[in-house]
Amino acid sequence: MLTDAEMLRYSRHLLLEDVGELGQKDLKNGKVLIIGMGGLGSPAALYLAAAGVGSMVIADFDCLEVSNLQRQIAYNTADIGGDKVALMKQRMQQINPEVRVRSINTEMTKEQLLMELMMVNLVLDCTDNMASRQMINSACVDAKVPLIVGAAIRFEGQLMFFDHSQEDSACYHCLFPNEDEQALNCSNSGVIGPVVGTIGTMQALEAIKHITGLPSGIKNKLKLFDGKTLEWQTFAINKDAQCSVCGNPK
Amino acid sequence: MKINVNEQPIELDQQANIEQLLTFLDSPLKGSAIAVNQKIISRSEWANYKLQENDQVSLFQAIAGG
Repeated sequence: MLTDAEMLRYSRHLLLEDVGELGQKDLKNGKVLIIGMGGLGSPAALYLAAAGVGSMVIADFDCLEVSNLQRQIAYNTADIGGDKVALMKQRMQQINPEVRVRSINTEMTKEQLLMELMMVNLVLDCTDNMASRQMINSACVDAKVPLIVGAAIRFEGQLMFFDHSQEDSACYHCLFPNEDEQALNCSNSGVIGPVVGTIGTMQALEAIKHITGLPSGIKNKLKLFDGKTLEWQTFAINKDAQCSVCGNPK
Repeated sequence: MKINVNEQPIELDQQANIEQLLTFLDSPLKGSAIAVNQKIISRSEWANYKLQENDQVSLFQAIAGG
């Protein structure tokens, strides 16, 4: 049962046939790990807190820098120098005191990450580098935890959903198998705020749909967003039987 | 043989696989992903995947920013 206060807070969810009271209870029972509290993590974490996702773990080991503020809209100028996870946790609980937030302020090893994955049922990859993305993907494959991946640079965004609870799911490594490559990032290429915000917002939307049992149209797909034309392209990703992470290479 | 790469028409002398196309385009093999007709082709298949007339090839890079 939802309390009267919850009925009021989430009334716009309850009006939706696709969410309703059952969906809101699913959200309340939801356990989500969000890794990376930058331009993707800012809208993703705030929307999921506002939506009433009951338990969230947020991870980042950076302090807020002035150059983050052009796109990382969860933070204020007065916060510069502070730990992002501490600032974000406070912000999420200001929006919604009903949600529980735990913060991780260190760079996790794969072993630590696997421990964390035992306690969640969904992961959002909001990180800013290839090594972290590959490690998160590999851990989610091992732990069979669904993973929603977002990325953005310049005016371009990428969005993927790999449901590792399904045996036939493709994985991030099927698509981008070079673990050591220097992929483009915001520090070397620049990024426009609303593009990274759009992708982070889509990650939150897909998370809400997944938790409430709504089908996702993007599983095993790569969506590319062009911030100049506002066009989305969609590509199907098949599981690579030779993938060294999720396949059975010869 | 005519194909499209990122919506630009390209004329190839003979049928090519994806690795040959990337060499022809002088495009780096690392960090790239390839889709043909909206389907991602795994890197392990690049050497064997023969492109066909009028294929729509999309070539893009991994991006890691966030």
